[in-house]
Amino acid sequence: MLCCFTVFIFCPTQFHNLQELRHSASLANKVFIQRDYSEGTTCRFQTKFPSELESRIELTLFEETVKTLNNFYAEAEKIGGQSYLEGCLACATAYLIFLCMETRYEKVLKKIAKYIQEQNEKIYAPRGLLITDPIERGMRVIEISIYEDRGSSGSSSGSSSVSGSTAR
Amino acid sequence: MPQVWESQRTTFSFTSTGLFCSPLCPWLAVTICPAVPPCCAVLFLFVLANFTMATFMDAGVLPVAGEDEDKEDEFRAPLYKNVDVKGVQVRMKWCASCHFYRPPRCSHCSVCDHCVEDFDHHCPWVNNCIGRRNYRYFFLFLSSLTVHMIAVFTFGLVYVLHHVDDLWKLHCLITLVVISISGLFLIPVLGLTGFHLYLVSRGRTTNEQVTGKFQGGINPFSRGCCSNMEYLVCSPISPNYTSRTCKKTVILVQPPFLRPEVDRQMPVKIRDNGIQSLAIQNKVCASKCVFQLKNPPPLPPKPDRGLLKSQVAVLDGALELQTHMKKFIMFCWVPDKQCCVFLCFNTQLLKTSEQQGINKGSDLCSNTRGSPARGSHQASVPVSTPLQPSTVSSSLQLNSLTLNSRSLTLKHSSRNGSKSQLLSMNPEGLGSNSSPGIITTPSLLTNQCSSRNSKPSYNNLVRPSDPQFMVQRGAPPVSYHTHFMGLGTDGAVQRFLQRDSSPSIATRDIPPPGLVKRDLTSQGLQDNLRDLYPHDVSLPMSAAARYDNFSKTIMASIQERREQEERERMLRVSARSQVLYDPDVGIYDIPSRRSLPPDNIRPAGSRGPTPPAYGSREFLMSTGILGYGMRTSPLSSSSTSSLTRGPKTSSSPLQSSSSSLQSKGRSTSPAYCPPERHTQGPSSSTSTLPRLSSSAYPTPPYTSYATAKRSSLPFPSEGKESVTLGALK
Repeated sequence: MLCCFTVFIFCPTQFHNLQELRHSASLANKVFIQRDYSEGTTCRFQTKFPSELESRIELTLFEETVKTLNNFYAEAEKIGGQSYLEGCLACATAYLIFLCMETRYEKVLKKIAKYIQEQNEKIYAPRGLLITDPIERGMRVIEISIYEDRGSSGSSSGSSSVSGSTAR
Repeated sequence: MPQVWESQRTTFSFTSTGLFCSPLCPWLAVTICPAVPPCCAVLFLFVLANFTMATFMDAGVLPVAGEDEDKEDEFRAPLYKNVDVKGVQVRMKWCASCHFYRPPRCSHCSVCDHCVEDFDHHCPWVNNCIGRRNYRYFFLFLSSLTVHMIAVFTFGLVYVLHHVDDLWKLHCLITLVVISISGLFLIPVLGLTGFHLYLVSRGRTTNEQVTGKFQGGINPFSRGCCSNMEYLVCSPISPNYTSRTCKKTVILVQPPFLRPEVDRQMPVKIRDNGIQSLAIQNKVCASKCVFQLKNPPPLPPKPDRGLLKSQVAVLDGALELQTHMKKFIMFCWVPDKQCCVFLCFNTQLLKTSEQQGINKGSDLCSNTRGSPARGSHQASVPVSTPLQPSTVSSSLQLNSLTLNSRSLTLKHSSRNGSKSQLLSMNPEGLGSNSSPGIITTPSLLTNQCSSRNSKPSYNNLVRPSDPQFMVQRGAPPVSYHTHFMGLGTDGAVQRFLQRDSSPSIATRDIPPPGLVKRDLTSQGLQDNLRDLYPHDVSLPMSAAARYDNFSKTIMASIQERREQEERERMLRVSARSQVLYDPDVGIYDIPSRRSLPPDNIRPAGSRGPTPPAYGSREFLMSTGILGYGMRTSPLSSSSTSSLTRGPKTSSSPLQSSSSSLQSKGRSTSPAYCPPERHTQGPSSSTSTLPRLSSSAYPTPPYTSYATAKRSSLPFPSEGKESVTLGALK
């Protein structure tokens, strides 16, 4: 699977000369928000707040994220005029239209990816969390990676042995 | 082989079409209508396009889950998880190859060795799985092919009939060959088209049809005939999961991290109140208290209110039961045992007592939380409240023996190494309450925090007969200091905060010593004492069966108890009214025996004293076998509850799944063709699974057995319960 996010949580070791305190984060845990199948196989995620995130993020922020994602998916899967038109067009062109045009679902998926990135940058990364686009997991779960502060690592002149790791 | 078929078929169709075109089209254009050949050409093109899409389009393949997603121990995780879809319980099976619980309607294709969303079948003619993304093309291919073949047959026949004189000429011979072949193949294709038309109108997949999933019951995935047709043709095409180009985005995650503010005032207050009040109470009304600690326990760790809240929220949501039975589920933290006790008591009892200003007895719901599962999210201590003195008279102190406490035991031993010990709450144990019996089991409950490695299983800790024993022995009260939070299940007491009022009212309104009144109409008391299990058969399981790490297990246990109790109650309905309720004796006499379904059902050996290393794999296996062997239910719904995934195997998907605890869980991956009928594995219990699923759906309340990873102790009872339930229903 390709991962969309490359997370830098690494403190470089080159700063020998500086008395620099850099914090590093490491992946501590992953929370998986499961799908909510109560309305059938349409894509919805549970808005239940996982307990691992209790101390990391406010409930309202989390709920808003999940609800917005659910709305996006509902919009993508809506059966209406546009999807009907798309189907007719596809039939008429013997499905060659798919080579040229991207479907509505794909467009919404792009919007979702953009939204998730924005949420990550603004809300989740400052709290040491990262949301992975559910499309990478086959839209089965929303994966939220929880990072822990591994403490500051100071480097004085001389040696520094700051280690870090790049998340997957 | 499928490729051979496919190529043969394709060649054949092209050839016949070509042959059709050559002599016939000019004649048709002239004789019948000039538009005939173009229409036939368009139709043929349509067939071809749909055939291509059905063949080459990804059916909706779900990518294999990464290792980090599966946090469960394969050996302990249940094979099935129930989820509620529009009020109908649907079972999600663990896919051993793909390492996730298959979403509803998803199935694993053994030919292609991957899970497909909305799996229909694997079509050998197109050599591809037919699933969510390409079912419409497959269906259109079938329909257009049928029309095309009918057209070829008809026009060929017309041509031959017009050229009977030249029957033995080449052109007529060719046409004869064409119409005979098309007529020959028209019949199965027409049959298949009709079959799929039927499926679409019913909203089923071929997989569901041949396994008989929804035969007797409601299909929750059907939207109605017209909507199903509309969905077939007009729905947006879902995306391809497997081959996606991912844009790499760099996001910097760097400490220090923001943290939300956590308000811990309330629980502390309550706890303080509780402790203090309890202490007072212990001193004052020692004789009245039911449970007593020898040593006042140290303050429990600060309750993680957020965790609490999440737990509560989870349970709240899960327990939104439209139930007329007012039940109360309480989670009590037993600090010195590092465990919580999960108990339930009837809020009727609570209400009546409240009305009369009497405390409700100690409701002990113990969730045992063992060693902290992780870091800061551990020891999710619920709000502590002191035990309430029994509302009943001193002789009936065991009102607190609402102690249908259930312990949720981890499947693992805790990380701290403390093994989850099942404390058997047998009456004798309670009776001998001279020792500071903590009526909990140090079993560990995993909430979501600690759900990483463990799942709770639960045991019935306390029998309702305990009160009787306690009473009869006139045992010295054993006050039970616990910190608990109440979790109301009825409509009135569902909020956690509100619940503070209920149990904490009980806590705060400490009755003066001797005020251990037992209000009770005998009926009420009996109801209260009997209905100590939260249950309501009528509840829609919708929230209760949410697919969730934490609440699932609890809900499963609740549901189980609920069903158990409901059955018991139904059996006792007639008897109830006839019983005289002597406060001292009668109440405890009647429920004592009857509220012991497990006793009646289980053999003595299967629920013996705590075995060593309880919760270990060997224990689960052995008792699972014991429990399993007891089951004779044709439904065998409870057999699924004992199914675990087994160790991870990269087994061939062709291996059939086994239902025995011992056997490894494997995924069944039938390849479905319309004429094929899916056959289950050889084991008998497995063979009941399709029937189980078919029978399970019409009876939603009884299909929730498979949720929790429980110890095998309740399993035999479940089996019997399922039998009885089946009988009742």
